[in-house]
Amino acid sequence: MEAWLSNLETLLLGLFAACALIGAVLVLVLREPMRVAMALISTMVFLGGVYGLLGVHFIAAFQVLIYVGAVMVFIVYVIMLLDPRDSAVRRRFSSLLVPGVIACGLFIAALGSLVWDAAGKIPRAAGGAGFTLAQFSAQFLNEYWLEFELTSVLLLAAIVAAISVVQVSRRHHG
Amino acid sequence: MTSLLLPIVVLPLIGFVINGLLGNRLGKGFVSLVACGLPIAAFLIAVRATMELMSTGTPLVQTVFTWAQFADRSFEIAFYFDRLTAVMVLIVTGVGSLIHIYSTGYMHEDKSYARYFAYLNLFLFFMLMLVLGRSLLVLFVGWEGVGLASYLLIGFWFEDPEKAAAGKKAFITNRVGDAGFLLGMFLLYRALGTLEMDQINAAFLAGPVAVSASLVGLFLFIGATGKSAQIPLHVWLPDAMAGPTPVSALIHAATMVTAGVYLVARLHGIFLHAPEASALVATIGVATAFFAATIALVQTDIKKVLAYSTISQLGFMFLAAGVGAYGVAVFHLYTHAFFKACLFLGAGSVIHAMSGEQDIRKMGGLAKKIPITFVTFAIATAAIAGLPPLSGFFSKDEILWFAFASDRGGMPWLFVAAAATALMTAFYMFRLLWLTFFGTGRMDEKTAHHIHESPWSMSGVLVVLAVLSTVGGFFSVPHFLEGMLPLPPIRAGAASAHMPIVIGSVVIALAGLAAAWWFYTHNGARAERARAHVQPLHRLLSGKYYIDELYEALLGRPLQWISDRIFLRLGDRLLLDGTLDGMASTARGAAGLLARVQTGNLHFYAFLVLAGLAAVLLWGWSHV
Amino acid sequence: MDKVQMLIGLSIVLFAIGLTGVIIRRNVLVMLMCMELMLNGVILSLVTFAYQLGSAVGAVLVFLIFVAATAEIAIAIPIVLLLVRQKRTLDLDAYADLKG
Repeated sequence: MEAWLSNLETLLLGLFAACALIGAVLVLVLREPMRVAMALISTMVFLGGVYGLLGVHFIAAFQVLIYVGAVMVFIVYVIMLLDPRDSAVRRRFSSLLVPGVIACGLFIAALGSLVWDAAGKIPRAAGGAGFTLAQFSAQFLNEYWLEFELTSVLLLAAIVAAISVVQVSRRHHG
Repeated sequence: MTSLLLPIVVLPLIGFVINGLLGNRLGKGFVSLVACGLPIAAFLIAVRATMELMSTGTPLVQTVFTWAQFADRSFEIAFYFDRLTAVMVLIVTGVGSLIHIYSTGYMHEDKSYARYFAYLNLFLFFMLMLVLGRSLLVLFVGWEGVGLASYLLIGFWFEDPEKAAAGKKAFITNRVGDAGFLLGMFLLYRALGTLEMDQINAAFLAGPVAVSASLVGLFLFIGATGKSAQIPLHVWLPDAMAGPTPVSALIHAATMVTAGVYLVARLHGIFLHAPEASALVATIGVATAFFAATIALVQTDIKKVLAYSTISQLGFMFLAAGVGAYGVAVFHLYTHAFFKACLFLGAGSVIHAMSGEQDIRKMGGLAKKIPITFVTFAIATAAIAGLPPLSGFFSKDEILWFAFASDRGGMPWLFVAAAATALMTAFYMFRLLWLTFFGTGRMDEKTAHHIHESPWSMSGVLVVLAVLSTVGGFFSVPHFLEGMLPLPPIRAGAASAHMPIVIGSVVIALAGLAAAWWFYTHNGARAERARAHVQPLHRLLSGKYYIDELYEALLGRPLQWISDRIFLRLGDRLLLDGTLDGMASTARGAAGLLARVQTGNLHFYAFLVLAGLAAVLLWGWSHV
Repeated sequence: MDKVQMLIGLSIVLFAIGLTGVIIRRNVLVMLMCMELMLNGVILSLVTFAYQLGSAVGAVLVFLIFVAATAEIAIAIPIVLLLVRQKRTLDLDAYADLKG
């Protein structure tokens, strides 16, 4: 049972990873921005699945809640706002298509070579397969409390910026 | 150590400063007073200095100040007054003062009255410095200074570009000669360690010197040809007639152009030991005399005839110096100053009467209308032709005699050429007299109406100079200078020719007179007919042997070509400007290339990020 | 293949695809989405390392990245909106006012 379960886990992990990859490639090639957004959402959800399978459930939750639920919704909203008959929809790719793809290939080759022959050589720490929210919170609020406070400052700055952008646009266009 | 010499030199300088700075505000009367009074004062002081010289018998010396001093060598400004200097200074100040007085009348209507007299006084200052200088250095300062004054005065009416160009030509031609002069000075200084002329003479007379006397003599003579308008540097003198006529009289007849003769006479010590250089001096002198006289035969501008006549007479002076008769050369310088100044000033009077006309073909019949000018001009003409007992006869006769008989280079062919020149001199001078004053008037009505005698400031001076031309010859300058400039010995077998030569020179003068009368009476009808037969020769002579054109083709145009093609286009524009422009355009090009990175295209920037990242990683991959 | 190895490889590919998408696609909004994809790739690698090492530090960083991504998108979208309103097109090539 254990072996079958771990096999299932690995299988699901591989499946979710493959789907995330397919989604990412679709992001690259789909024509209409709405469909691209859908592909991206699917990638993110599958990645959330991967996180869940790795044992960090709260991160998976955050991924879906924040990333998909806030960021992607915002993007979808903006896509719906803007004109679908734009020229950027008709011509998908910029003039740097071929060089870009080649450079991408080189990049993947360069970085991939680092992880290629590392099979089995990476040690697993003795800490366990995952960690719980409790552990995470304890770490966060004890050792990294400064960063915690700084995030609130960052969010404040973002709010102020967003408001000023709105006001600028209101001044320009009434 | 006397103190008389400095005032002689400085008084005209003071006149220059006063008239130059304040002249325009002080009115013509004041300017005339300062400008004429100071040279007269200088003349009187010169007389006093001469009397002191005669009483003591030793040359007067005055050291003014030390110009430069190195370890053991020093250059001083010092003045030296011996008999030769006395003759020169008296001529310069005396004739100079007369010409200043004449100028007050001649330049009366000119708008730059003060500037004219300032320049004239400046000229006197430099000329006196030249003749009074003890060392070649002081002489050279004066030499250059008179060149400068000559340039300023020739181009006096500088608004006319031709006149300005004449001034430039004079100055530049002089400078060519000065190069030779400087080389001579350098050689002398290196060999003897001094530039004091009395010491140089003493060194050469005492024995052989470290430098070749002929070489030094040659270089110094090159300088003299520039200043005294001998071949090949004579081209500036006829053009210099563009200046006011009193300037032509003073500078280009009586004083500045004689500086070359003075130089040779002063440094006789060198030339006595330089037979080759002396022979060259004599040859060039007689060649110039002959050649200038041929050109003067056909000139139609009254001043140009006199200019070529001056060149010719200077040639005579150099001929005398070349055969060792330095005192005789100075004698001719002295008589020439009187009659040539009289001729030039007379010409000025004629031009004044003719309301500016200078072409003798348009003159005629003036004898009765301007009698004083006519009489003085005629006397001076007779003097230059060599009719006894006028001054010209004595000096020219001495020259002809020594050209034939001097033991230091006198040769029959020199005599023959000089005699032919004397014949031509008489001929063209009397031609000038006839065409200008006799016959019927060939001028237009308006000019004829205005003919009038000159004011007393002008005609009075003419009278004085005519008198001097008459009696001046009786004071024997060679005898006066014999102590320091001994006459050369007579070569064997020539002594018997003395009297025939004297008679011959009188005959030549009369023959010239007769020929001129024959051809040019009745308005030159016979001359016109004769001219038709010798048209090509006439054209050659009228074109002054085309020497100016030759210089232009040989020197002027190649220099212009080099300046234009090589220095301007190649050197300046291509190399210098090109280098700077090239650097600037290289910078601009490089900046342009680099600016291509900033396209404003975000895709491109992102691509560069990815490409750079990939490159770095690949590099790290291959090196790890 | 090891789990960790595969996940790291996936994160590399996701990041590369995201960066390529920024270069390739013309639409501004699609470019923004590709940038989100890049961020996801990074988050994946962080989570993988957290899983491998068993420490929560990775998770902390992931949390911070979430916050940063949110703030970023909150500002980026309005800026893009203003830009689109100015240039009246979503085509990035039209925004190239700076001439090289």
